[in-house]
Amino acid sequence: MTEQPTGGRERDRWGFAAAMVVAGVLLFSVVMGLIVLPVLQAPNAGIDPWTAICRAVGLKAGSPAQPQPPVSATAAPVSQVRWTPATLKILAAADPRPGAALAQAVCSACHGEAGLSPSTDFPHLSGQSGAAIYKQLSDFRSGARFNAQMTPVAKKLTDEQLAQIAAYYGSFSRRAAALGPRYGIGDAAISRLANRGDPARALPPCESCHARGVGGPPEAPVLSGQQREYLYRQLRAFAGGQRGNDVYRRMRDVSSHLSDDEMHRLAEFYQGLS
Amino acid sequence: MPQNRRLILAHLWVAFSVFVLAAALGVWQMWVRSPLAAPQDTPARYYQSVTGHGVSMAYVLTTFFIMGFGYFTAETALKTPLPSARWAWAGFWTALAGVAMTVAAILSGQASVLYTFYPPMTATPWFYVGLVLVVVGSWIWVAVMLVAMARFKRANPGAPVPLAMYATVANAIMWLWTTAGVSAEILFQILPAVFGWTQTIDVGLSRTLFSWTLHAIVYFWLFPAYIAFYTMAPRAAGGRLYSDTMGRLSFVLFLLYSLPVGMHHLFMDPEHSTGFKFIQMSLTALVSIPTLLTVFTISASMELAGRLRGGKGLFGWIKALPWERPMVLATGLAFFMLWFGGGGGLINMSYGMNAMVHNTAWVTAHFHLIFGGTVVIMYFAIAYEIWPSLTGRAPLSVATQRLQLWLWAIGMMVMTLPWHYLGLQGQWRRVASFNYADPRIGPWGPLVIVSLAGGVLLLVSAVMFVMNLLPRRAQVRLPEQGYSFALAVHPPQRVPAALNGFTVWNVLVAILMLVAYGFPILQFFIGNSPQAVIHPLTGG
Amino acid sequence: MSEADERAIVRSEIRWAVVAIAAVSVIMLAVIFAAIAMHINPPSNVERINPQDLHLSAEFTEANLGTKVEANGQITARIVATQFAFVPRCVVLPADRPVTLRFSSPDVIHGLLVSGTNVNTMVVPGYVSQVHTVLRKTGDLLMPCHEYCGLGHSEMSGTIRVVPSAQFRPGPDGRVACAAK
Repeated sequence: MTEQPTGGRERDRWGFAAAMVVAGVLLFSVVMGLIVLPVLQAPNAGIDPWTAICRAVGLKAGSPAQPQPPVSATAAPVSQVRWTPATLKILAAADPRPGAALAQAVCSACHGEAGLSPSTDFPHLSGQSGAAIYKQLSDFRSGARFNAQMTPVAKKLTDEQLAQIAAYYGSFSRRAAALGPRYGIGDAAISRLANRGDPARALPPCESCHARGVGGPPEAPVLSGQQREYLYRQLRAFAGGQRGNDVYRRMRDVSSHLSDDEMHRLAEFYQGLS
Repeated sequence: MPQNRRLILAHLWVAFSVFVLAAALGVWQMWVRSPLAAPQDTPARYYQSVTGHGVSMAYVLTTFFIMGFGYFTAETALKTPLPSARWAWAGFWTALAGVAMTVAAILSGQASVLYTFYPPMTATPWFYVGLVLVVVGSWIWVAVMLVAMARFKRANPGAPVPLAMYATVANAIMWLWTTAGVSAEILFQILPAVFGWTQTIDVGLSRTLFSWTLHAIVYFWLFPAYIAFYTMAPRAAGGRLYSDTMGRLSFVLFLLYSLPVGMHHLFMDPEHSTGFKFIQMSLTALVSIPTLLTVFTISASMELAGRLRGGKGLFGWIKALPWERPMVLATGLAFFMLWFGGGGGLINMSYGMNAMVHNTAWVTAHFHLIFGGTVVIMYFAIAYEIWPSLTGRAPLSVATQRLQLWLWAIGMMVMTLPWHYLGLQGQWRRVASFNYADPRIGPWGPLVIVSLAGGVLLLVSAVMFVMNLLPRRAQVRLPEQGYSFALAVHPPQRVPAALNGFTVWNVLVAILMLVAYGFPILQFFIGNSPQAVIHPLTGG
Repeated sequence: MSEADERAIVRSEIRWAVVAIAAVSVIMLAVIFAAIAMHINPPSNVERINPQDLHLSAEFTEANLGTKVEANGQITARIVATQFAFVPRCVVLPADRPVTLRFSSPDVIHGLLVSGTNVNTMVVPGYVSQVHTVLRKTGDLLMPCHEYCGLGHSEMSGTIRVVPSAQFRPGPDGRVACAAK
């Protein structure tokens, strides 16, 4: 061995050895994973070897070792609303000004000026999430949700108009709605249910969907400051099956695990929450 | 004596202060999950805390420690000042600004997406921008390391790059490869969504890109521990390194095989096929080889030291080792925990058995053992070892250092052994509460409390660690001293070019990545890859 | 250091490398054996489905979820993982017969395991996750969500009710649902 800068030959030797080892390992993995295993597994799935290889590579759906189940199903969905980029763009681009005029003409008789309802028969809309209003109006229009007053109103509106009304009510601060009488303050058990949920009944906290910016379903409405009478009626309707436009039973499921007393107290808690 | 002591210390202090806070969060999280009543136990607080704990431990402690230790190694091993202290400081301030942004985002409650992000859930943009700045700061460190090695080679043609520096640069290069995945995910998928330019994220692609980073980042954290095994522990034990070549080979193998294996985090995912999972599994199997080589080489080095100190017989050399020295003790404890953590890892790796443990407490136990047990305990030992040459002061007495290390190791075992067991029982991850009233879950309660006790020991140890390092009044100033790394039994006069540079290895990494990740990433660009609408978790 | 010492070091290094490679090979062989003899693969269907339309899709509409015995006798359970519940919450399956579980998500990433079984999969929006298994233990098994899916993640849990094969009686449409307890 001579003391000189390490030369090309030695680099070649190490580089060659390393490359051979890497190539060998790769060859083994590729041949075993993409060819040998699927071909040997194919008989169990009842498929030909070529299909099995395609499944192992990911070119075809399914496992190379197991048969794919047949799909034979048609059933009616509970809501037609889809949260697609197109829908979200309509909502984001909606102009609240025509929405204000529409609301004045169509909604304010029941839901009050600026969405603050004077009657316990109708919910507040002021400061409600635009996506929630849009979802419910769409469902009234499609028949997924029925209400003798709302359904005919919604059927007269276009998609864009729904979004404009949603944008108008969404533009208010929620605080105004929470100025009504307060109940349920200091109800520790209900506050716990709303903020912590109940693992024993697999009940998630109400707040994990019904507060702003919690990453829950887009259509979840804000509950704080809502009329307690309206909240209670809706919980009963979900539990009793009169209302069923909640996608994947989210509210039918939750409400069926609540007692009547809890529904009352939750409704009061949320009316008092600002 | 290193020139840029303030630079190095600034990095280490950022790392260690964040570390203590994160340890405290960890204890509170275990308390919340246990049957005992904890304060502030809402899910919003819990996931905020988990995000803080993960980001602090995985991104801040590690990145800042590795940068600081890298500067230390470059100056002491190469015996020259850094090529550019100004750039190094620029990297520090960039990363620190990033940390401040990310921490503010987490504190505001607008970033409870955990440290692995979980798109299509999204946080406030500040969270991601802050993390990008941390990575950019670390890239500046990479550049400084590369230039330092290049200058050394130019000034000393034919001379081997000292092992500690060679390993540090291997880590820097691996880090460049590693960050490519998560950077692509943040820059091309998450940031456009959180800034409102797009409404959807391809979740399959984002998981794949994150997995690119997810395994190699663990080796990024692990490198300093291995550098200490090879270049610090043998000297501390009073011996020499058994084999310099074996060391270089191990570091090169880490560079090579820690990257094309990230998909083993996705074994249970529906968006990848069995074939590519198999390929990455068999490459994962190879990662254990450098670990086993290290176990051998370091054990042999220790045996050498033990026999030099008069140890006789099959096990006599173990008794003869100077266990009173923190570096030796930490190495012993780290090896002990590496056996458990590595053994668990082999089970995670085989994709049949993975179904038994995926997303259970077993996995939490595994990576806490590897990270806390092997990585962080060696960070402690390194800090104790280099403190005199950085500050001119010794840390608090060697006895308190030993006590601190023992507490850490015991705490780690007490915490993770119940987790391993509970994982096998099916205890799942990332929940803020368990329904202990359920007879199927109730029996887990006492074990969860035991692991909480382990967590308390860890917190005590973490606080002790920082106390040991703090400057004290009436402290004896040591004479100025340099630092020297352990020499090999047979110090290399020259090494093969392949083991003195990285060109060959970079080419091989590129080939491996192409095979392992080429089609799995390409598939998201074929046909209509499904998109999920974002779910902003940005607070009210 | 003498030449002989150096050779001894190299020899022991090589010996150890052989041991290391052998240990890893044994594990790989076990995996390959399980794949060939027991058909064990990780859940990897690579089957795309649009998450934005999931509730409108034929297969994963609400009324089509749950256990169904298909015309060819195959037993399939279809389950949606959504914030923050499995739909349906309770699924009946027979013991000791091959069953297929199909999952999908309309919103974010979920995951699940069934306690005491080898059922474990991620549920990623955009894909159908498919698990094939034979359940050996009867009774109500826990099926918790094991992947962070939002602030209600901790309460997201379902039940797999395994009944003895003789008590597994599908209705005329092939469907079986959990009886109320």
